[in-house]
Amino acid sequence: MDASYFWTIIIFLALGTFSIRISVIAISGRIQISDRAKELFSYIPAAILPAFIAPAVFFHQGQVNWLQGKERLFVLILTVLVSLKTRSTVVTIIFGLVALYAIVHLGGGL
Amino acid sequence: MLAFYGISPKIKFNMKKNNFFGMGFGLMIPVTTGIIPFGAVVGTLCSEAKFSFTQTMGMNFFVYAGAAQLAAIDLMTKNAIVWVVIATGLVINLRFLLYSAAMAPYLKNSGFLVKFISAHLLTDQSYAIMSANQDKLPTNKDAVQFNIGAAACMILVWQLSVLAGYTFGNFAPPSWSLDFGVPISFVALVLPTLKNKSYIVVAVFSAIISILLYSVPMRLGLILTAGLSILLAIYLTRKTAP
Repeated sequence: MDASYFWTIIIFLALGTFSIRISVIAISGRIQISDRAKELFSYIPAAILPAFIAPAVFFHQGQVNWLQGKERLFVLILTVLVSLKTRSTVVTIIFGLVALYAIVHLGGGL
Repeated sequence: MLAFYGISPKIKFNMKKNNFFGMGFGLMIPVTTGIIPFGAVVGTLCSEAKFSFTQTMGMNFFVYAGAAQLAAIDLMTKNAIVWVVIATGLVINLRFLLYSAAMAPYLKNSGFLVKFISAHLLTDQSYAIMSANQDKLPTNKDAVQFNIGAAACMILVWQLSVLAGYTFGNFAPPSWSLDFGVPISFVALVLPTLKNKSYIVVAVFSAIISILLYSVPMRLGLILTAGLSILLAIYLTRKTAP
């Protein structure tokens, strides 16, 4: 691959990405951010994080027959319950990974 | 010297008691399990595309956005037109605009360098962990330190994963399903932010819309889902306002 092709893309991609990242932060000292805006900002995790979670789980082609290949969806539901109960990121992540491993490798033949 | 001796115990005490950098760094560690396999894939693809070491780590450090990098590598190996690769990557990264807005109130009194570093290190994971823990961060300064700590952990693990992928090939055993760490860490991070019924409604809406828009090209589904969900939040909060 031509080096100038690579670096042209990388430089513009890096500058563009940084511009997006710094955009509102750069003007934060000069603008008054209203309480209304802050209230809406508090909805950003609810607005975007489920959009990472749902497709990653829903469209994943699984391998466990008795769950029709939807073991990730099944484990995700359990993980939500564990997370609500424990309120711990560490416990939630360990539980999710171990539960998925257990179902795929120990329960795959069920 | 007197001032030095006079002040240093106080500084030490404060650092130990309120080490928000360390708190952010530590809380980020379990979350990074989800990004290790993605870093490994990016590194492996860079090596397969015959990128030099400098090119791989240069892209990884200056762009520092996994999803956009994956798309860009794929398009570059297909010799796509320059502006198509750039535009695709930037569309994928548009979501950082939301994180920039959400971080702005915390950073408004920070210096240029802190703003610069905090902006460049913004990622889905670092913003998510910040939002999940904001109740534990009394002042803006604490929040900024927490965020930089979490972001430092993130960039460290990411660079090492890509480096390892570039050097050794795809090292993360697929049977461990470490990639599942991404959705489940987001589950753990989004739940604490759902403070009442309207947050839950927005989250469920976002999940459903993201599935419906999944096949929209250029990964536009993600930013469209976020935009529509924010519109719903605007509508919901207007209705409940006194």
